Amino acid sequence: MRYLISSFCLLFIACGSYPKKQNLQIQTTSNNMVQNPYFSDEIKDYVYKANIEVYDNNFSGIFIVKKLGDNHHRIVFTTEMGNKIFDFSFSKDAFKVNFIVEAMDKAILINILKKDFKTLIQEKLPVVKSYTLQDALVYETVLNNKKHFYYKTQQLNKIVRTKHGKKKVAFIFSEINDTIANQIKIEHSNIKLNINLKIFD
Amino acid sequence: MRNIFYIIFFIGVALHGQTKMNSAESATLKAKVKTKATTINTLLSDFTQYKHLDFLSKDIITSGKLAFKSPNMIKWEYITPFKYVVIFKNEKLFINDEGKKSNIDIGSNKMFKHLNTLIINSVKGDMFDENEFDITYYKEGVNSKVYFSPKDESFSKYIKAFHITFNVEGDVVELKMVEQSEDYTRIVFNNRKINTALSDAIFNQ
Repeated sequence: MRYLISSFCLLFIACGSYPKKQNLQIQTTSNNMVQNPYFSDEIKDYVYKANIEVYDNNFSGIFIVKKLGDNHHRIVFTTEMGNKIFDFSFSKDAFKVNFIVEAMDKAILINILKKDFKTLIQEKLPVVKSYTLQDALVYETVLNNKKHFYYKTQQLNKIVRTKHGKKKVAFIFSEINDTIANQIKIEHSNIKLNINLKIFD
Repeated sequence: MRNIFYIIFFIGVALHGQTKMNSAESATLKAKVKTKATTINTLLSDFTQYKHLDFLSKDIITSGKLAFKSPNMIKWEYITPFKYVVIFKNEKLFINDEGKKSNIDIGSNKMFKHLNTLIINSVKGDMFDENEFDITYYKEGVNSKVYFSPKDESFSKYIKAFHITFNVEGDVVELKMVEQSEDYTRIVFNNRKINTALSDAIFNQ
């Protein structure tokens, strides 16, 4: 019986919500929308030197994002020598693989990249709840039926995607210059996949 | 009538930039480049690479230095805007990515081996293998331009054609790799130096 109670307790702790676990303080006044400005300018070509670590493989290359219209982006990854590794199109509800090298042409991998990049380029989302954490404002939103938490101090510094109250993926924006994030990290907690982006000088 | 004349005149002007070679001209070019390629023991060159993606407003420009030593050591060194070195040597690919070193054994990988041979051949200019490519020859001003389209389907998925521009001396001045989508990578060579003494040490990672 005692075990049962402690199991329940554990279960309760384990299933606690993300805001509770992170000590986020709920706030009443809030923005209606949260914005991610980093890939929102149609005039700009966003070009990054990239490192992608997948399990024990390490791919480096050039990561390119272009906004082509409202809710319409193209994302291409090439080697340093210019050979395309993948080429994806994102529009409001559609996703298209324009090209992918055979070695990476796996539905499971494409699906992970699709979800990550969708978060990366999503410009606006309605706020469900707002919280504070020290000097940061944290906005809870929903994208692809998953809770996402947007951390903002002066600028948007971090997005955390959660599942069952746990952090699954963190998008960290640093060395921010106006609406350009010079460094971006995408870190997965449950699989060995990390993407590091550093802007071209 | 006058309109037709103008149209014909303008078509003539438009085509003037690039005209097809006759068989004697192409044979001469081929012989010149092949002879030249056999004399290349070492090669040093600066290069500027333009990655063209149709949806971008500007090409992505990177630049660096190329070194080749016969028969099969080659080093591409990107200097701006990032430092990245790739060396093909002894059936291995050595990479130095801003200090982070790694290597890939390509001995067992047919595709990589093939690519390595192609890179060496394209730098020397000698890709005139009619079993492997459909080859078309053009004149472009004083220069020559040759299109090499891979016949192998699994390869042409990646590269539809190599366009190599040769100067009057038969040196490669530009290499363009065109993808199925028509996006391309264009590499322009400058300050080419042939057969200067090159120590093996520069091909160390």
